[in-house]
Amino acid sequence: MSDMTAASSSHAEKGALRAFLPRAHAGWCILPPMAFLVLALLLPVGFLIALSLKPAMPGMFDFTGDLTLANYLRFFARPFYYETLLKTLWVSALTTLIVAVIGYALALIIWSAPRKWRGVIVLIVLSPLLVSIVARTYGWMIVLGDRGVINQILLAAGLIETPFQMMYTSGAVIVGLVHVFVPFMALCVLTSLDKIDPAAPEAAMTLGASRLAILKDVLLPLTVPGLASGITIVFSLSMSSYVTPALMGGSRSGMLTTFIYQQFAVTLDWRFGAVLVTLLLGLTLLVLTAILWSAGRMTRRWSRAI
Amino acid sequence: MTGFTLFRRVGAGALYTFLLAPLVFVIVVSFNGGTTPKFPPEGFSLQWYGVALSNPNFTGSALTSLVLATAATMVGTPLGVAAAFGIARGRFPGKGFLEAVFLSPLIVPGIVIGVALLVSLASIGLRDAPIRLLIGHVLLILPYVLRTTLAGLASFDRAVEEAAVTLGAGRAQVLWHVTLPALRPAILAGAAFGFIISFDDAAVSIFLIDAHATTLPLAIMSYMQYNFDPSIAAISSMLIALTLAGAVFIERGFGLKRFLGN
Repeated sequence: MSDMTAASSSHAEKGALRAFLPRAHAGWCILPPMAFLVLALLLPVGFLIALSLKPAMPGMFDFTGDLTLANYLRFFARPFYYETLLKTLWVSALTTLIVAVIGYALALIIWSAPRKWRGVIVLIVLSPLLVSIVARTYGWMIVLGDRGVINQILLAAGLIETPFQMMYTSGAVIVGLVHVFVPFMALCVLTSLDKIDPAAPEAAMTLGASRLAILKDVLLPLTVPGLASGITIVFSLSMSSYVTPALMGGSRSGMLTTFIYQQFAVTLDWRFGAVLVTLLLGLTLLVLTAILWSAGRMTRRWSRAI
Repeated sequence: MTGFTLFRRVGAGALYTFLLAPLVFVIVVSFNGGTTPKFPPEGFSLQWYGVALSNPNFTGSALTSLVLATAATMVGTPLGVAAAFGIARGRFPGKGFLEAVFLSPLIVPGIVIGVALLVSLASIGLRDAPIRLLIGHVLLILPYVLRTTLAGLASFDRAVEEAAVTLGAGRAQVLWHVTLPALRPAILAGAAFGFIISFDDAAVSIFLIDAHATTLPLAIMSYMQYNFDPSIAAISSMLIALTLAGAVFIERGFGLKRFLGN
């Protein structure tokens, strides 16, 4: 009936039409997918977080007892546990930094490339995402392995005498993560670059600014939003990646996600595993908020300067 | 050629090599004539494709993955389309928040989705791998369909619907014969992308499989822990071909870049 009141405006006929269209009851469409999302994702994740606050007892799903932080204290009592957390943060931060540099460079290359090459370059940049994660990792094993392409070239050139171990190290994990996250960063920055009025860098050049100065003082400030969204995406994806660290870093990659896998699949300590999951989610959220907040501050400062 | 141009070309070439190297080497090694994934390869042969295709672990899990991805796409696509209609056309506050909630399966780590489903479904006594996998994979697909359908709805001219009504079409007819056909490229692109994501997933599935139902990526992963022969390269090359075909399909109908921009 609320549609009839809308129809009482001057466009009575049009209003009546709109009332007839799917719009009127379209809001109800949200209910089935919402119910699914609540039951399949929000409740299970909430349940897991609740589990982390339960005292470790043999009865697995007893929710009658008191809540406790004992499981969390256990995490911070052993250096091995929180060192995993620090290593995860460190690997994710380094991955994000390298991805930011490479992704920005690729975005600049796509942006300044002639129209006819643009499609091909975009395809090359997206290619890591188009390939199954196992295929990609196997490719890296062929390149980085002890008898892989790089080692064979170095051996043949006489630069090294014994193969140089690259697979199953943190370095390999970072290479694997950088490779697959570069496309996200490049496209985020490209979206920002495409919004820049070409007159801005041209004006700077006419006024005698060097290439570096144009990049630093014109393009960089204008692409902060794209860079910030790229950094948030890449950082959270790095923190939560499981398959690449597990395959490229070996069983002892020492990332939080491989540790979570062990708790749920090997040692079956679900409460402690729930603590790790809660810490992973909480920490990721915290760092993302910090990145977005500082990007917002940076944009405000630059817009004041102009 | 100035120094800057040279620097730029060398830099761009190095970056392209970095991006393409693993894929190129997988394909080269898959045609290897020898018994180890050596480079340069020892002669040309299709033997490893034969080995891969006659490995029951691979064929069985490939079938599981195919059935799972198809079923999850068939369930997830209508849910995603319905969510998009509700968000785009419903009359209620907090639409931005709702959209963010629906996109949250993209933000919550796959491993957390898998673990949360494992633990909570076990607590209500549900331990069937096929059902667990289906629920997890529908979650993976839903946000992609939602995104593309929302984009399709945003660029859809509602005057067409009004014209259909003026011509005497009923509400269901408008939806079925006018609106949904106009959204077809967007919905198909989301469904195709979701299918690829589901087919390729390892992080969510790893907690939800059991001894009887394993997906292809996980079968390859467990094979890779003890073997390094080029049959993995052969099966990986087939996966690359499959994904590329899907990507070309999406690019033709909708545009691949629209999935990843912000």
